[in-house]
Amino acid sequence: MNLHSILSILVFSPLAGIVVLAFVPKQAEKICKLVGVLFTLPALFLSLAIYFHYLAGKNLADFSVTHSWIQFRGFNVQEPVFSVAYELGINGFQLLLVVLTAVVATLSAIGAVRFVKKEWKGYFMLFLLLETGMLGVFTAENLILFFIFFEVTLIPTFFLIGKWGYFEKEKAAFSFLLYNGFGSAILLIVIMILFAKTGTTNIEMLRKIVADPSDPISGSLKLGLLISLLIAFGVKLPIFPLHSWMLRVHVQAPPSVVMIHSGILLKIGAYGLIRFGMGIFPEQFKMLATLIAVLGVMNLLCGAFLAFIQTDFKMVLAYSSISHMGIVLMGMAAMNQTGVQGAIFQVISHGLISALLFFIVGVLYERTDTSFIENLGGLAKGMPLAAGFLLAAGMASLGLPGMSGFVSEFMAFMGLFKTLPWLAAVGTIGIIMTAAYVLRAVLGMTFGQAHREFTGVFDLKGVEFIPVLVLVLLIVLIGVFPSVLSSPLHSALETILVGLGG
Amino acid sequence: MENAWLIPLFPLVSFVILLLIGKQLKERSAYVGILATFVSLVFSIVVLFQRFFEPTYSAKFNWLTIGDLHITAGFEVNQLNALMLFIVSLVSFLVHTYSKGYMHGDERFSVFYVYLGLFTFAMLGLVISPNLLQTYIFWELVGLGSFLLIGFYFYKEEAKAAAKKAFIMTRIGDVGLFIGMILLFWQTKSFEYSEIFKAVNAGQVSGTMITLTAILIFVGAVGKSGQFPLHSWLPDAMEGPTPVSALIHAATMVAAGVYLVAALFPLFLASKTALLTIAIIGAFTAIFAASIGLVQTDIKRVLAYSTVSQLGYMMFALGSAGYVAGVFHLMTHAFFKALLFLAAGSVIHAVGGNQDIEKMGGLWKKLKLTGPLFLIGTLAISGVPLLSGFFSKDEILAAAWEGGHPILFLLALIAAFFTAFYMFRLFFLVFTGEFRGKDEKHVHESPGSMTFPMIVLGVLAIVGGYVNTPWFGSYLGDWLVQGNAKLGSGHAEGPVWIQLAATLFSLGGSFFAWLIYGKRSVSRDWLSGKGGILHTILLNKYYIDEFYQMTIVAISKGISYLFRFIDVFLVEGLVKLVTSIIQGLGKLGAKLQSGQVQTYGAVAFLGLAVLVVIFALTGGYLR
Repeated sequence: MNLHSILSILVFSPLAGIVVLAFVPKQAEKICKLVGVLFTLPALFLSLAIYFHYLAGKNLADFSVTHSWIQFRGFNVQEPVFSVAYELGINGFQLLLVVLTAVVATLSAIGAVRFVKKEWKGYFMLFLLLETGMLGVFTAENLILFFIFFEVTLIPTFFLIGKWGYFEKEKAAFSFLLYNGFGSAILLIVIMILFAKTGTTNIEMLRKIVADPSDPISGSLKLGLLISLLIAFGVKLPIFPLHSWMLRVHVQAPPSVVMIHSGILLKIGAYGLIRFGMGIFPEQFKMLATLIAVLGVMNLLCGAFLAFIQTDFKMVLAYSSISHMGIVLMGMAAMNQTGVQGAIFQVISHGLISALLFFIVGVLYERTDTSFIENLGGLAKGMPLAAGFLLAAGMASLGLPGMSGFVSEFMAFMGLFKTLPWLAAVGTIGIIMTAAYVLRAVLGMTFGQAHREFTGVFDLKGVEFIPVLVLVLLIVLIGVFPSVLSSPLHSALETILVGLGG
Repeated sequence: MENAWLIPLFPLVSFVILLLIGKQLKERSAYVGILATFVSLVFSIVVLFQRFFEPTYSAKFNWLTIGDLHITAGFEVNQLNALMLFIVSLVSFLVHTYSKGYMHGDERFSVFYVYLGLFTFAMLGLVISPNLLQTYIFWELVGLGSFLLIGFYFYKEEAKAAAKKAFIMTRIGDVGLFIGMILLFWQTKSFEYSEIFKAVNAGQVSGTMITLTAILIFVGAVGKSGQFPLHSWLPDAMEGPTPVSALIHAATMVAAGVYLVAALFPLFLASKTALLTIAIIGAFTAIFAASIGLVQTDIKRVLAYSTVSQLGYMMFALGSAGYVAGVFHLMTHAFFKALLFLAAGSVIHAVGGNQDIEKMGGLWKKLKLTGPLFLIGTLAISGVPLLSGFFSKDEILAAAWEGGHPILFLLALIAAFFTAFYMFRLFFLVFTGEFRGKDEKHVHESPGSMTFPMIVLGVLAIVGGYVNTPWFGSYLGDWLVQGNAKLGSGHAEGPVWIQLAATLFSLGGSFFAWLIYGKRSVSRDWLSGKGGILHTILLNKYYIDEFYQMTIVAISKGISYLFRFIDVFLVEGLVKLVTSIIQGLGKLGAKLQSGQVQTYGAVAFLGLAVLVVIFALTGGYLR
């Protein structure tokens, strides 16, 4: 098979599922579910194939593909041609995110088999469209294409929340769309300015042009553009205080969508900040490093303290996501290899951990119709397996060594301790608070006396074991052998850090 | 020794097997765990003997690469590690055996062995780690094992609270270790112990930095070893099953803090301030915990406070530069305290789960084996001559005298008096007099699987001290410091009167306890009556928990609510403001398009009028 077409097949394979679903009758519940799960598999296999291909020592550049797509110029023939190409590519960082996306998407589809109770056809069509959008975001090699895929993720998510969510689903969906639309608008302006000034949106080209001393963009404009990027992706990540939309989404969206949302969609913010913010504007990023570190510590602490007093487990997890994204910011702000690697590890690790946690939340909600901590006390008696996995997920979340969360946290903190030790020291309060809120919530739900009789409560069963086992194994794998992530990252990080001069 | 890395893996295999098929094996799970730890024990003994004659062995491989930094993992068998391997695998094996009887009939029997396997794996991994990061990793994992086992009776609210408290309090300490470790890395560019010592000795690290990192790492040890002010989780940890208390909260994990300080001893030696801090905290904890132990009525809690106190003793020894003394006492304490806990478990087992010593008594006649064994433990811990505790305590006191802390030395002596007192109080209340509980008929001696481990430990509690005595030679001490003169001499030379004073104090404590609880010639409320307030304070453990509840817990809650206020009112308020401005503008726009022709006409006329006025005022066309 031609290596160049693999990425395109990978990205667009879920769309084939939409076509197939179009011919399936609405009432055919089983077939809809089957098709939905099956068509996440090609992307999974292809992404894993690329990963092992890479481990075998092959070059990732072989996979990049470029086709000319749109070209235009002004009336004057002398004016340069503006061209937007269809170009997909992959480096180690992108590869990890693509694998993460493919894994979580498949597991989320399996989750949806259990959690989605109506209109499976529409759900899976939107879901597959969303997967294409996410895969495209992580493989796009120019900003326009990135933006298009980025928008493609918004629309299906909006409908998935608004239609299949819980009681206040419409409100959550609108707030999701408004905030993210706001972020997109800023992003679009940044892209257009860059395009107009440089004549290209290719990320590699932009990196080179901006690094060139004779580049056409003034320093203050660059700083302005970076701050705009920080806001645009800050909404997505989210950075405190741009976070209130994601609380609603976490609580109201169906668990299988939150697995994707918390596991992958939030990570687009981190990906954008590292690849575009740090990658294209390294000088300016250095100037903002302290600010970003402060924002990171703020996120970490605010999230952790707020998670400590929530009564709804979903809210605990939502604030916990904010808190963990603070660690990503801290790692980035360290501006050294250790910190940035920690940030990327955290992105992957949190993707897996939050997917696991929300899957379990889905399981619990399905059985008990509640996710409030006090209503769930003593679950370990009736559902020992689910309680055990919940505890394992909680331990991963609080950064227990031997699991992925620790390696990430450790590197992010280690990086920041090198550059901003005092700030990092303040951040360590977050480590304690994380333990406090995770244990308060998890033990509150599983330990102690059962507060009420749960009728018809049964433990994990059948297909539900696939997501929990796969996720737990991956989390432990990364925790015990972190080189599974660090070796692909090596060269990708070098490229980013060359710009930082260290 | 090349295969020493296998030692932790046997319990890990047991953990995995039982995790997968423990449910099916039911009580046969015990055999898997016992076998695994037995193999570990055999390997450990072989490694220990090899280490007597061969030099230190270490091996490492690349674990994580960050740019040019290569972080390694591996294992090392030096004297301290070899000794710890032996202690941990021995106690673990004995506790695995003991639990077979103790946990018999428990619904989650196999789960118990799963957790035990996990803990043993982590503890053995901890003591062969050649670098700080790996130590930290296993350090946290033993914490997990401890957490799981404390919370084993998860349906009990007390167990839940105790497990949570243990995890969070030790984590506060761990953060100190975490920071210290990272700071040390950036100073020395390595997590390896050997590299760190090299850099410290070469003077590459500034004095302030050494003190700072040493104290931060010590904070980790404070959390793990239940030193003041992070001690209060340990007595609560007694909510776990008693074999767990023997293994984790007496012999092994809580000693990990002492081990850590010992493993990093060259770093601590480089900072006088750090050593003094350790000595003060250790000595204070020793007497502080012992004083609480005087009045507690729960058999396990008395032992728990005794553990805290004894760990303080070890820390005090290390802080007085008594490396050998600290490690020696760690070893003897592991034997006699594990013995005491197992014997206490046997007592609790015998009286049907009751732990209140006021409801025991007269058990000497019924428990023909447990009684004498408990007495051996009591004599050993009290420092009565000829038993193991006597030699190690003597070594500590000599080291302290040599270290030149006369006040701390005095505190340690008083603590020794307290120790003898509360231990004999326990012994007399449990084993002599009349039985004060119900159901005397059911009191029975424990099965062989429980008494066998106690007998082994009982023998060790007697003879364990003879490896390092002032009379027959300090074999252990000489071996421990062999090839590393920096650690100090193999034996602390103290004046003879120290030995006499120590003996006097411990015998005095025992005698006093006998007067009150054994012979009853002195009324029991003679003390509590006299110092009523003091007694209440001691009974309430100096109100430390209440103090934390009112300060730290309340403050974190307060901060949380402050953030919530910001989140709900400021952030959401700002969002509301923005949306309402936009909504207002929209409403305004909507109002303008009312569809009423009259309004439109009026507005048009008004506009025209304004234009005319401007036109008139400017006197002609606008220029």
